[in-house]
Amino acid sequence: MDTNWLSYSLSDFLMFGPEVFLRLFVRINQDIWPWQGVAAVMVVAIGVLLARGGIMARRAVLLLVAVAWLWSGAGFLIHYYGPINLPATWFGWAFVLQGALLTVAALLWPWDAVASRPALSRWSIGLGWVALMGLAPLLTVAQTGNGQAAALFAITPDVTVLGAVACMLLFPRRVRWLFLLLPLVWALFSVATLWTLGTPVLAVIPGATLVLAVMACFVSPRRARNPD
Amino acid sequence: MFNELGRRQFLAMLAAAGLSLRIPSLMAAPEGHPIVRPIPSSGEQLPAIGMGTWRTFNVGGDQYLIDQRTQVLETFFNLGGTLVDCSPMYGSAAEVMGEALDTLNVRDRLFAATKIWTGDGGATRQQDRESRRKWGIERFDLQQVHNLVAWQEHLETLRQMKADGEVRYIGITTSHGRRHGDFERIMETEPLDFVQLTYNLLDRQAEDRLLPLARERGIAVIVNRPFQGGNLFRRFQSEALPPWAGEAGCRNWAEFFLKYIVSHPAVTCAIPATTRVEHMTENMGALYGALPDEQQRRRMADYVAGL
Repeated sequence: MDTNWLSYSLSDFLMFGPEVFLRLFVRINQDIWPWQGVAAVMVVAIGVLLARGGIMARRAVLLLVAVAWLWSGAGFLIHYYGPINLPATWFGWAFVLQGALLTVAALLWPWDAVASRPALSRWSIGLGWVALMGLAPLLTVAQTGNGQAAALFAITPDVTVLGAVACMLLFPRRVRWLFLLLPLVWALFSVATLWTLGTPVLAVIPGATLVLAVMACFVSPRRARNPD
Repeated sequence: MFNELGRRQFLAMLAAAGLSLRIPSLMAAPEGHPIVRPIPSSGEQLPAIGMGTWRTFNVGGDQYLIDQRTQVLETFFNLGGTLVDCSPMYGSAAEVMGEALDTLNVRDRLFAATKIWTGDGGATRQQDRESRRKWGIERFDLQQVHNLVAWQEHLETLRQMKADGEVRYIGITTSHGRRHGDFERIMETEPLDFVQLTYNLLDRQAEDRLLPLARERGIAVIVNRPFQGGNLFRRFQSEALPPWAGEAGCRNWAEFFLKYIVSHPAVTCAIPATTRVEHMTENMGALYGALPDEQQRRRMADYVAGL
């Protein structure tokens, strides 16, 4: 057996430094301005829809999350990150595929079998989700000291995946895992990359995604009560 | 490229002198000629400090960073450097190098070195062609088989390419001290112009077999990871240089680390990589002035080992 591979470390596979990586966030925010407003509207809309509940609201949430997968995959990963890190391009296409699959599921899934939560619980979830998506982007700002480096939902992958995994709880557990595979693989890849880059603070987001995704495999929404 | 050394060296020194007038700190730079080493297979002289691009030039389409890296490259050439080393493995580094060379218009001063890095042994010429397109050059001065990947097939094609005038020199590379046994066997049996390997004050395995073998076989040696990927600075920069460093020709840690390497009689060129102009200026300081003798080299190694 060739044991030569044992002498390699993660840093041997990293072909760029933290400066170049963190500049990606600044660059995409400069290039797409003022479309960050659309991302902000999406965050608020998803929060409100989670709070309102109901079948149509669930479909709309998942459609918006599908757009976020598509946007962050085709934009950040393929166009910006891919040229300095080839696996990011592969992940970008996987994000696009995930967005397409989620679109189909959002439109076709029979939601009748899933019960709605009480209003107070729904509003807590909606507000909590918006708060998470509002605070998570500040980590890249804190790391760089540059407000233009904010990692926004629907634009950058780590925050998008964290928000998306939280929304996957809308699915029954038996199909949820299908949409958790990519988040799990991405979060592992991202944690390893950020740790090796020497930016462990940023690894908090994909680290939280890993925890949430594993938990999501064991948590089930309550079944609808039999109306009879 | 690199056919008229005397003229280029003269121009490089003129440029260095011009820069020194603009940057006061360079006024203190040692006077004299840059340190050069002959390529054993041809006798052609190479400046003993080159430039690596691993991690540093992979900046994608970031124009701000491309401009900044172009300044680093400009400083390298202005201070007498010629050899730039890259690889298809380094992401967008080759495209960025091509853009920087376009901006600076310095291809006539360039000794262009890159690598073949593909497991497809039949893709040597295709990857060479692709690299030439990215760099914007007609041929490479040096093509190396990266980390011995599919080395038999690639070396065979490279030998043919050299015979056809498609590349001037050929070689093989390794790093981090990997596969030294295989490396040694290839050096013993294959006709090579260059080898590239890791050698620095902490990684000195190459002193045992590979460096003496390179001298014996008449193979030029390029040294990668001269700062052990920055670890040497992280470990020793807070320490004081020894009081006798000046006698060994060293004014700072960069010169201390680099002059230890290029003063080895088998070494042709060290290729530190950096993202900062001021670090490039420090690195290129090792291209001038006195070099440590054998006794001083031992003292340098002992001093670092004792810290």
